[in-house]
Amino acid sequence: MNKAQKEPEINPEVLLDIVTAYRRQKWSLIPLVQEIQAEFGYIPPQSIPLIADALKLFPSEVQGVISFYEQLYTEPRGKNIVRVCRGTACHVRGGKTVLKLVKQHLGLEENQTSDDLEYTLETVACLGICALSPTMIINKQVYGHMNPQKIKQLFKKE
Amino acid sequence: MQPVTITINQRVVSGHAGMTILEIARESKIDIPTLCDDSSLEPVGACRLCLVENEQSGALLASCVTAVSPGMIINTNSPRVLEHRKTIVKLLLASHPDACLVCDKGNRCRLRQIASTMNIGFNELEKIPQFAAIQELNPFITRDMAKCVLCGKCVRACREIVVEGAIDYYQRGFSAHPATLNDTPLERSPCTFCGACLALCPTGALMEKEVPFQGTTGSSVRTACAYCGCGCPITLEIKGRRVVRALPTKGDFFSNGALCIRGGFGYDYIHSKERLVAPLIKEGDHFKKVSWEVALKAASAGLNRVKSQFGPDAMAVFGSSKCTNEENYLLQRFARTVLKTNNIDNGSSPYNLAIRSGLGDTTGYLSTTNLLEALEEAELILVIGTDLTVTAPRAAYAVKRAVRNKQAKLILIEPRQTKLASFAHWWLRPEPGSEALLLNGMASVIIEEKLFNAEYVSRLTEGFSALADALKSFSLEAAAKDTHLPADEILSAARAYAGASKSAIVLGPGITCAASGIESIKALSNLALLTDNIWCSSCGIYSIQKDNNGMGACEIGSLPDFLPGYQPVADLTARNKFERLWQSELPANPGLSMAEALSRGKEIPLKALYVVGENPVLSLPQPRQTREALSSLDFLVVQDLFLTETAAFADVVFPAASFAEKEGSFTNFEGRINWLKQAIPPYGESLPDWEIVLRLAKEMGDQLPYSTLEQVITEIEEFVPLYEGYDHQEERPSEKWSHWEERRNLAFQSLAGFPRFSIPDCFSPPHKKPEEYPFCLVLEETLPFFGNGTRSGKARRLKTIYPPLLLKIGTDDAAKLALATGNAVRISSPFSQLNATVDICATLPPGMIALPASFPDAMDLFSPDMGKEKNLPPASFCYAQLERVSLDE
Repeated sequence: MNKAQKEPEINPEVLLDIVTAYRRQKWSLIPLVQEIQAEFGYIPPQSIPLIADALKLFPSEVQGVISFYEQLYTEPRGKNIVRVCRGTACHVRGGKTVLKLVKQHLGLEENQTSDDLEYTLETVACLGICALSPTMIINKQVYGHMNPQKIKQLFKKE
Repeated sequence: MQPVTITINQRVVSGHAGMTILEIARESKIDIPTLCDDSSLEPVGACRLCLVENEQSGALLASCVTAVSPGMIINTNSPRVLEHRKTIVKLLLASHPDACLVCDKGNRCRLRQIASTMNIGFNELEKIPQFAAIQELNPFITRDMAKCVLCGKCVRACREIVVEGAIDYYQRGFSAHPATLNDTPLERSPCTFCGACLALCPTGALMEKEVPFQGTTGSSVRTACAYCGCGCPITLEIKGRRVVRALPTKGDFFSNGALCIRGGFGYDYIHSKERLVAPLIKEGDHFKKVSWEVALKAASAGLNRVKSQFGPDAMAVFGSSKCTNEENYLLQRFARTVLKTNNIDNGSSPYNLAIRSGLGDTTGYLSTTNLLEALEEAELILVIGTDLTVTAPRAAYAVKRAVRNKQAKLILIEPRQTKLASFAHWWLRPEPGSEALLLNGMASVIIEEKLFNAEYVSRLTEGFSALADALKSFSLEAAAKDTHLPADEILSAARAYAGASKSAIVLGPGITCAASGIESIKALSNLALLTDNIWCSSCGIYSIQKDNNGMGACEIGSLPDFLPGYQPVADLTARNKFERLWQSELPANPGLSMAEALSRGKEIPLKALYVVGENPVLSLPQPRQTREALSSLDFLVVQDLFLTETAAFADVVFPAASFAEKEGSFTNFEGRINWLKQAIPPYGESLPDWEIVLRLAKEMGDQLPYSTLEQVITEIEEFVPLYEGYDHQEERPSEKWSHWEERRNLAFQSLAGFPRFSIPDCFSPPHKKPEEYPFCLVLEETLPFFGNGTRSGKARRLKTIYPPLLLKIGTDDAAKLALATGNAVRISSPFSQLNATVDICATLPPGMIALPASFPDAMDLFSPDMGKEKNLPPASFCYAQLERVSLDE
């Protein structure tokens, strides 16, 4: 990851409050980390020992679960999540080029977050709207029939 | 259990419901290859090599996780099974480096064994090597993740056996691998280098870091570990005359697949270049190597001279809690019949005294009342006065397993934040020295709230009403005040202890070596008696021993006031029995203890001393006094592996053989017997201790009637209570504990008037903290530094991870004194002072400071005063004060 990236502020009291509410509930690891992610956008590494202590698990165990699930993030993510579709239908209609252009515009590689924490670029296997291919999705807004012009406009506008 | 019969490979085999196919197959000697299965771990079905075919349904099943059902027809070698199994092995090999030629796992590699059995070498699959840097910075374990087959044995061993949880799977898919938190190297993780993962790893992914190319060894010997009081069975692998590896004994349920860093890596002191190779005689300031004849002659002349000049009671023998039962038996006989004195003692007698009188007065039984496997089944465990993970790692595994894997509750009474603190449900941090008051406070809650087992108490115990009367005057508030604990903490701990139906107690040196040790142990007994938690299964009082034969040395009679089997010296019948046996008149007056004799400095009441396997200069408080005492002796004979600090004062030094070089038995803290088996010939000219004693006696003209160890064992079996039949088993497997059962039954027979409550006579702290010394200083044991370091200090790899020699102080105290990490301070006690560098550390409570036990001369600070009715200076802590000094002072 980008080393220069600024770490978002994590309020330790908020973190502790979330964790404390789950004390000694061994089963509640997933809901707990989801709540932490909902609050901070990712699961800060300093939360792992706290979670382990509260749930009476081992820190390595907690890390093992977090690193297993794609949906759980251990690094800060941007305000805007850009997901470019890499499905078959999008691929044959130029999805690869769309991704290349988005990368150029954002100056990011896949799964990277910009230093100012504005954008995170990800790819997705299929969005299920092949009729609109090539597609991409920013936060919850879907963009179809992408072409270089549209991409240029999209990132200029934002 | 429901019997189940199934058919495997056309053979009808039977087992019981709940067994897996693999278990039944193994019992019937049908081989199914596995990589991820091990008897000490829960099965997970990760490697899929154990696939078998269900002939009725055609399904391929992973036999390690499939339970049997009646009438199953299984084929372990059908063409389909073989095809799949071969593919799996080929796939594993495709991502495995072709490094077998240079891999030190050699023929120990399970993957290689399986591949060659199945006739698989290079194959048609394209190689997809998993490159990974070899991690080998620590001196114990080398990790090469390129060779990992993801069987998960290491992860499960860390979590299920030793419950350390240092590693777990990290990431997923192709990048999944076992890793520590943040994937740091092992030395920067909670890993204790117990070696459990190492012993289980089927490939070269985890390897002992050692001289390369040891590979497969020619022979191995099953013996016992010689460090702590757990006395784990251990297997030594031997190449030529060297022990190259120490492993947990396969299939042994006691060690259950795990040793600790000392057992697994600390054995190599036996190959230290500092070992004594020949007997030494002092000439002027120097030692001269001499032959055994010359050395024995000199020793016998010296001892005989002192005997005729000053009489037998001017001489003493120190046996050893690290020597075998047989050796201690011979040593005490040597003292009593050759020297004719009862001045015989061993290093564990001080802390054994507390257990002996504390437990003996209440339960009538003189030691740990149950076995470790019962501890794991307890509902609640109370651990007091020990950093258990360091003092007795195997016992700590049991406690942690009970808590983490079997949902037991844990009450931890320990001021320091030890590793067990994160497992504890109730963690009480009393003022050091006030433990007895805390326990009496708990008893008073249990009585007041009627939480005790009234039926048991009234039917089977004595002295309850006296205890209830005595405790009436002792309020919870008073206990809270003197222990500096909130009253509700004591209250909830008491309720929890009494509330569980099976509660066990584990106590350690923080209690047995304390000034109020006996009172604390009696108070613990009271708690156990009130709730009927002594003799039933999964209950009991476990008292941790420091040395591997601490129990045995005392039981076998290496004590100034007891003949073998705890028969008092003062008892005429006991004396007569041994007088008849040994054909010699025995001295009737109890002798001097080691601490008593040496604490008087120049006024030492002795003229000659024979020290075997002990190092009193380091183990007793006030080393200066001990040194003075030793140098004012007329004659000193020391017998050890090394030229110890004590041996430096000797006139004659005998080189002794190490645990790997001799035979004999140890009694562990539970009372189990572990047998040593000789793995390698004695180093240099050294000899087993028992042989040296026999030679010395002969030289002194008083030959003891034994020529082999067997004769000694037979005599012990016949004449020492507690040891009758301890050598029953021909092969001496430690799985069979019939001896232990007999031992306990024997104790029951002499229980008239027991168990009974002990009435506390004092409800104030045993000593007030002096105002000018506001800190309690404790010496902290650490895993790599064992005892006083006589052996572990010579272990090449352990030495490299000694803790830094710093004074630990809590955050609050440091702030009060305006101290920062790295500041120089002077620590003073009423007896001495020394300088140290500060390390601020969150694990200590206010008012407590700690030095590592390896800190030079730290024992100078401790009081040499003997406690009341004790032959030992309290060594659990001392009072001290701190002042800052500038660095150049």
